[in-house]
Amino acid sequence: MNFSGILVMAKPDNHAEVIAALNALEGVEVHQVDAATGRIVAVQEAEDIHAEIEGVKRIKAIPQVIMAEMVYHYLADDERTYEAMPPELIEQQDGFETCAVPAYLNS
Amino acid sequence: MGLTRRDFLKTSIAGATAATVGMPLSEQAEAAVKAGEAGWQWDKGVCRFCGTGCGIMIATKGGRIVATKGDPDAPVNKGLNCVKGYFNGKINYGKDRLTQPLLRMTDGKFDKKGKFTPVSWEQALDVMEEKMRWAMKEKGPHGISIFGSGQYTIHEGYAAVKLMKAGFRSNNLDPNARHCMASAVVGFMQTFGIDEPQGNYDDIEHTDTAVLWGANMAEMHPILWSRITDRRLTHAKMKVVNLSVYGNMSSDIADLEIIFSPSGDLAIQNYIAHEIVKRDAIDHDYVKKHTQFATGPYDIGYGFRPKNADKYHSALEMEVVKNEQSHVLDKWEAIGQRKKEGDVIEQKNAATPMKDWAISFEDFKAALAPYTLEYTAEVAKGDPDESMEDFKAKLKQLADLYCEKGRKIVSYWTMGFNQHQRGTWVNEQAYMNHLLTGRQCKPGEGAFSLTGQPSACGTAREVGTFAHRLPADMVVMNPKHRAHAEHLWHLPANTINPQMGSHFVKIMRDLEDGQILFSWTQVNNPWQNTANVNHWIKGAREMNNFIVVADAYPGVSAKVADLILPAAMINEKWGAYGNAERRTQVWRQQILPPGQARADLWMMLELSKRFKIKEVWGEQKVPGLKAAGFEDGKLPSVIDEAVKMGYTPDSTLYEVLFATKDNKKFKWPDNAVAKGHGNHICDLLKDGWFPEKALFEEYRKFGTGHAHDLAPFDVYHSDKVRGLRWPVVEKNGKWVETPWRNNEKYDPYVKKGSGFDFYGNDGAKLVMGDLDKPGDPKNAVDISGKAKIYFRPYASPVEKPDANYDLWLCTGRVLEHWHSGTMTRRVPELHRAVPNAVCWISQKDADAKGLKRNDLVWVESRRGKVKVRLETGGRNRMPRGMVYVPWFDEGVLINKVTLDTTCPLSKETDYKKCAVKIYKA
Repeated sequence: MNFSGILVMAKPDNHAEVIAALNALEGVEVHQVDAATGRIVAVQEAEDIHAEIEGVKRIKAIPQVIMAEMVYHYLADDERTYEAMPPELIEQQDGFETCAVPAYLNS
Repeated sequence: MGLTRRDFLKTSIAGATAATVGMPLSEQAEAAVKAGEAGWQWDKGVCRFCGTGCGIMIATKGGRIVATKGDPDAPVNKGLNCVKGYFNGKINYGKDRLTQPLLRMTDGKFDKKGKFTPVSWEQALDVMEEKMRWAMKEKGPHGISIFGSGQYTIHEGYAAVKLMKAGFRSNNLDPNARHCMASAVVGFMQTFGIDEPQGNYDDIEHTDTAVLWGANMAEMHPILWSRITDRRLTHAKMKVVNLSVYGNMSSDIADLEIIFSPSGDLAIQNYIAHEIVKRDAIDHDYVKKHTQFATGPYDIGYGFRPKNADKYHSALEMEVVKNEQSHVLDKWEAIGQRKKEGDVIEQKNAATPMKDWAISFEDFKAALAPYTLEYTAEVAKGDPDESMEDFKAKLKQLADLYCEKGRKIVSYWTMGFNQHQRGTWVNEQAYMNHLLTGRQCKPGEGAFSLTGQPSACGTAREVGTFAHRLPADMVVMNPKHRAHAEHLWHLPANTINPQMGSHFVKIMRDLEDGQILFSWTQVNNPWQNTANVNHWIKGAREMNNFIVVADAYPGVSAKVADLILPAAMINEKWGAYGNAERRTQVWRQQILPPGQARADLWMMLELSKRFKIKEVWGEQKVPGLKAAGFEDGKLPSVIDEAVKMGYTPDSTLYEVLFATKDNKKFKWPDNAVAKGHGNHICDLLKDGWFPEKALFEEYRKFGTGHAHDLAPFDVYHSDKVRGLRWPVVEKNGKWVETPWRNNEKYDPYVKKGSGFDFYGNDGAKLVMGDLDKPGDPKNAVDISGKAKIYFRPYASPVEKPDANYDLWLCTGRVLEHWHSGTMTRRVPELHRAVPNAVCWISQKDADAKGLKRNDLVWVESRRGKVKVRLETGGRNRMPRGMVYVPWFDEGVLINKVTLDTTCPLSKETDYKKCAVKIYKA
C-alpha cells in the first residue's frame, strides 16, 4: 500500500467544489486547507505506484485544479515488493559470484 | 487496530506534507507528526539523480534512512519532489548491494577468465597497484585511464584530477558527462569563453515563453517542469513550445508542438535567425556592443576512428564510418551549405573542427539566405502524416515568438541538442538567436542548457574531470594554465602532461586496440552507457588488459570487469554537487556504507599511498607528445626539482598530493560542521585530517578571483544555506551569490558601465575571414567583452534510414529510472512502475509490419540487435518512421544497436539517431 501526501492548488473561490471532488475520489481524503493561499493537502492511499501516479493524474484532471504534486511519501519496509525484481537482477543475486559474462550480454 | 494505525498514518502524512510546503499545522496534525517521527533525526541533503539539484530532507533512525521529503527551504524545488526524488531513501537498500571486493580468480590467483571471488581490500589494492605499474611500464602514463562521472562528488572529482594529472601525469580521465554535457561545454567555451549558464531557474518565474528543444522536461526535469506548468497557468502571456522528434508528455501543456526530423533543428534555428534578420527584429545596440559574428569549417567528419577504422569495424559498419574521410552532400545539405548536390567533400577539418574566424554581418546574412520557410519545412518536417501547410504554419508561429518585441523567452535543451552529431553547432545556434534579439543574461531571457547529471556542472565541468581540463575552465594544453595548477599544487614545473588525454569513447577504442591496458570506472556504467557497446565488451573481455569497476550494485560494467570494488553511495559519505544553475550544495554522511563498501575517495587516497614520486615522476615517453618545450616526446624527470621543493624521492603521492601539511590543518573530528555525523573515510585513514573539507578548500583556490569563486566549506554546511550560485563573493562579511552572470546589475565581474560584459573572451582575438575561410592572420579583431554569434549550417545525419534499415532509432530516459537503472531498478516501487524497456512505435508502422503491441521483436542495426517488447500506446506518440527505446534496462542493452558517432568538436556521442529495422523475434 502506498500513501502519499499531495499538495493541490486551486483558486480559493473554487475551494468548495475542488474539495468535494477530491473527497469523492477513491482513496483520497482532504486533510488541510489554507484558504488564503489556495493550498489543499490531500492524502492518497493507492494499491501500487501505478495507481499512485494515475491517482495524481486524476487529481490534476479535476477542473479548477491549478496544480497537484506529490510531496511526501511514506517509506514503509515492504519485503514482499522485492518479489518483482527484474529477472536478470534476480539471476545475479543467486549466482553472481560465479557468473562470467551473463548470457544476455552475448545474445 | 489496522484502521486506527492507518488513520494515524494519514494524519501524520498530511501534517508532514503541510509542514513541507509551509502551511500552518493543526494541533492534531502537529501531535501526529511528532509522534510519527519520534527519534528521527532530520538533516539537509541533495537529490542523487538529475541535474536539477533538488534539496531533500533525510531522516535517519538507528543508522538507517527512514524517510525523505522535499526540502521546503530549497529554492530549487520548494518542498516538491518528483517520483525518483521521492524514493531517494530507498536506493541504498537494494538486496544485491556489493559489499566486498571481488576479483576474477582461478586457483587462488587472478585470472582474466576466472570467476569472481571475494578478496580483502588489501588484496584488491595489491592487484590494482601491480596492474597499474605494468600498464605504465608498457605504455607510459597514457596506458592507464579512469572513467569518471558527472555523479562524482566535488571532492571525488577533484581527488581524481589531482591523482591522475599531478600524480600519474596522465590525462586519461574522462567522465560520462562527455556523453551528456560536452556539446554544451564547447558551445559555452566557443561563444562566451567561460562555461555554464548565465541565467538560473528563477528565469521561469520571469519569462513569457519556454521553448523546449529536444528536452522532454515533463519526464526528465519534472520539478522544473512543475515550475513551468505553474507559470503557464498563472501568467496569461506565457506560452510553451515543445520541439521534439516525437510527441511526449511535455506536449500536454504546450501551446505549440513541433515534430521535426532528426537534425532538422539545425535548419529550424537558422530559419528563426533568417526571420529575425528579415523582419529586423535584431537588438542592434546589444549586437553592436556585445557580439561578434563568426563561423568555422563544415568538413569536420563525424567523430569516428580517424584511421584504420576498417581494422575494427565490419563491412556493414564501414558503410557509415567511411564518411569520416569523405562525404557526399545530399540535396538539403547542398542548399544549406551553398554547394552542389552530389559534391564529394573530403573531411579535411576532421582533426581541426574547432577552428573559427570572424565574419561580417553581410556574410552572416548571406549564409542565412537559403533558410527560407519552404526550405526549412521540407528539411525539418518530422511527421510524415502532418500536412506541409500545417507544419509551415507552426514554424512561422515559432519565428513570430522570437521576433515579437518585448516578449521574454527562455530556450531549454538537454540531450536532444547535446547528443547530436552537430551538438556544438546547435548549442551555438541557440545562443545565436538569443544574442541577435538581445535576450541573454537577463531575468526571464536566455538560452539555458539544462543538465542531465547531479554534478555534471559542479564536478565534471567546474573541477574539470575531462581529458583536456584542469579546474576552473583551465586546460592542460595551455602552458600558463599548467604552470598555475603546478603552482597551486606545489608541483615542480613540467609535472603536468601537456598532451590531451583520451575522451570517453576514445578510452573505449584505446582498450579495443590495446593502447590502454588499465582502466578504472568510478560512479558510472560505461559498458551500458557507451554506444556500439559490442565492441567495448569485447575490448574489455578479450584483450590483455585489467578492468576495475567501483560500483554500488553489479551493473553491466561490474560484470565485464576483472576487479569489482564495492562503493559507498550518497549519504554514506560526505559530499557536494553543483547543479545546472551553478548552485553548489552539500550533505553530511548520514549512515554507514554496508559491509566492506567504501567511498571512492577513500579508494583513491589508499591507492595513492602505494606510489612514490621516484616511481612516477621520472622521465617518460608519451606517444604523440609534441607540445612546445616537450619536442623530444618525453615528460622530463621532475624528481630533482621535487627534492629541491622539500619532497624526498620516497615521498608517496598520498603525502605529496593529499595529506599535505596545509591539508592536515583541517582536523577531524570537526564538531562545528559535523554536528554528530560521522566520516567513515576519517575512521579508516586514522590520521586526523578531514579530506573532504581540506580538498574543497584547496580546490576553491582555483576559482577565487577567476570568476568561479566559491564560499568556504563551512558556509555551505550552515543550516541557513541551501546551496549558493557561483561566483560567490564576500561582501561586508557575507557570502553573496550571483543569480545572473555577465549582467552588470548582478555580476561583480562585469566592468562598470558596460551593461553586459562577456569577460570570458577578454584578450581573445579572431581573424577576419569570409564564409569559406579565414583571411589574412594580420587582420584580427579583438573580441574582449564580446560573445560570438556563429553561423552554423544544416548537416544531415551520417546514417539515415534506407530500404534495409528503414526506421530511425532514438534512445533516452523515462521518468521513473535514472540512467542505467542500477539504483532505481532496486527501488521496488520504481521497478514495478516501469519494469522493462519497451520499444515505442507508431500504430501505423506496427500495422504495416504485421506487428502488434506487446509483441517481442528484434531491433537491429548494422552494429547489433536486442530483443524488446513493442509499445504502441502510452506516454510517447511516435511519428511514422521512428522508434524510441530507453536505455535504463540492462536486459535490453540498446547501446548494442546505437552508433558511436560523435560531435567532432565536443566528442559527445549522438544517441538520438541511427537506422534500424524491426522484425518479430
